[in-house]
Amino acid sequence: MFGARNDVPLDRDASSRFLPWLIAVMVYLATMALVVAITMNKLANRWDQGLSNSLTIQVPTGQTPADRQTTERKLIDLQNQLAQLDNVENVDILNDAELNKLMEPWLGKDVHLQDLPIPFLISVELEQSNIKTIDAINTLISQNFPEASVDDHQRWLGNLLGLAKVIQMVSLLVVLLVGGAAGLMVILVTRMGLAIHKQVVELFHHMGAHDSYIATRFQIHALKLSTAGGFSGLLLAGFTIASFSTLLGQANSSILPSLTFSIAEWGLLLLMPLGASLIAMMTARLTVLRSLALMP
Amino acid sequence: MRYGTGPDVLQQVNLTLAPGSFHFMVGPSGAGKSSLLRLMYLAHHPSSGRLSIFGRDVSQQDRTELTMLRRRIGIIFQDFRLLDHLTALENVALPLTITGNPLDKVRRNVSELLSWVGLADYLDAKPPTLSGGQQQRVAIARAVIARPSLLLADEPTGNLDDKIAERLLFLFEELNKRGTTIVVASHNEALVNRFNHPVFKIVNGEVRLIKDIQSPPLQKTPGAT
Repeated sequence: MFGARNDVPLDRDASSRFLPWLIAVMVYLATMALVVAITMNKLANRWDQGLSNSLTIQVPTGQTPADRQTTERKLIDLQNQLAQLDNVENVDILNDAELNKLMEPWLGKDVHLQDLPIPFLISVELEQSNIKTIDAINTLISQNFPEASVDDHQRWLGNLLGLAKVIQMVSLLVVLLVGGAAGLMVILVTRMGLAIHKQVVELFHHMGAHDSYIATRFQIHALKLSTAGGFSGLLLAGFTIASFSTLLGQANSSILPSLTFSIAEWGLLLLMPLGASLIAMMTARLTVLRSLALMP
Repeated sequence: MRYGTGPDVLQQVNLTLAPGSFHFMVGPSGAGKSSLLRLMYLAHHPSSGRLSIFGRDVSQQDRTELTMLRRRIGIIFQDFRLLDHLTALENVALPLTITGNPLDKVRRNVSELLSWVGLADYLDAKPPTLSGGQQQRVAIARAVIARPSLLLADEPTGNLDDKIAERLLFLFEELNKRGTTIVVASHNEALVNRFNHPVFKIVNGEVRLIKDIQSPPLQKTPGAT
C-alpha cells in the first residue's frame, strides 16, 4: 500500500542489480587498505617504542674456545661499567636461549650457536636517547673491544618507519580513491536512473512534487543498495582478516604483525560500509537535485 | 515559445482564460496544442512575453511558489502516463501523497473518486491489466483528485469512440460547473462543435478564437489567466 513502495520504479533497473556488487568490492578494498594502514601504524609504533631507546652491541666471540671464555669474562666487566653510566637503565648480555629466539625466524629451532660465528650481543636500554650517553658507550666499547660494533638502530629504524609511513599514506589514499570512485559510480547510476525514469520524474514535477521529494526517492534507493553492498563487502573483508590472522598465528613469528584490533579500530572498519552508504545517499540526492534544477 | 534553439512553435499568443471558463483548443496534429498546454502547466517557460497564472506572473515566482502553483493544476495526458508498477488506487493518490496528505484520508478520498468513475472493483488493479477506457478514467481521477483550479486535457478523446468521448466531455462539464477552469485540446472539431464552449484554433503556431461563446465565469473561484 502507500509508502511501502518507491513511487519511482528504480528497483527494476539493471543498476539495482550491479550497484550492490560494485559497492561490496569498493568497501572490501577500502577495508583491506584501512587494515593495512592500521597494522602498519601499530607495527611502526612497536618498532619505534621497542628500539628508539636502545642500543645493540655486537662483540665477536674470537677464534677459539679459549678466546670465547676470555671474551665472556671481559663482557661481565663491560656490563658493570655500562650499567654505571648516567641515563643507562639496563644492560643485558643475551644468553644462548635469547640468541636462539632471535635467530629462530631465519635458522629455525635447536641450533647450536657455538657452531656458528655468531657474536655476543649486549642490549643496552637507555632512559632517554641522548648523544652524550651514546658517545660515552662508544668510548667504553672501543677501549674494551676495539673490534666490536655499536648499533643504535636509528638509521635502519628511520628507514623502516619512513617505509611504514609511506605504506600507511598509500593505504589511506586508496581508501579515499575508492570512496571517490564509489561516488562517481553512484552519480552514473543515478543519472542512468533519471534518464530511464525521465517521464515519471517529469510527471511528479508537473504534479507539484518538491525537488526534495523526488530526490528522496533516489536517495532511499541508493541507501538501500549501498548498505546491502557495503555490509557484504565488510563481511568478506572480515573473513579475509580472520584467515590472515589464523595464518599469522600459525606462522608464530615475532617479526610478522598480529591482526588483532581494538574496539575503536573495529569501529573504524565499520565506518567503511556506513561511509559508503552515506556517500551513495548524498551523491544520489545532490545529483538528482542538480538535474531537477535544470527543469523549469 | 520554442524548444531549445529551434524555431518558434507558438508566436503572437494573446490569450486570457476567465476563471471557471471552459475552452476547447483545436488544430491539426503538430500545430502546437500540446506546446501551449505545456506552457499552461508550467513545464516550459515562454521564450518571450509574459505568462500569468492564477493572477501571478510566472517569471516572478521562485521555485517553491511554482511548485505550489503546479499543485493547483490537473493534467490529463494524451498517453495517460500512469505508473505501471502502482495500483489504480496508488496512481490516483499520487497528487495527494506527494503533498504529504494523511494516508487514511487519501485512501478514503481516492476510493470514493474511483467509485464515482466506475472503477470501484479495480482499486488494486495495475494499469497494464486495465482497458484503455479504464486507464483513461484512472488518469482523469488522478487529474482531479486534488480538486485543481485548472484542468488541462491533452487529446483526452483521442482513442475513444464518439459516444464515450461525448460522455467524457459531459464529465468535464460537471467539473466545470463545480468551478474548475477547463481547457481541452482536441483535433476532433466535429465533436468539439457539439458543445457550447469557446474554441481556439492553433494554425501555424498562432492562436485564433474561432467560436466565441462566453462561459459564465464563477465569482468565488480564484482567478486563472
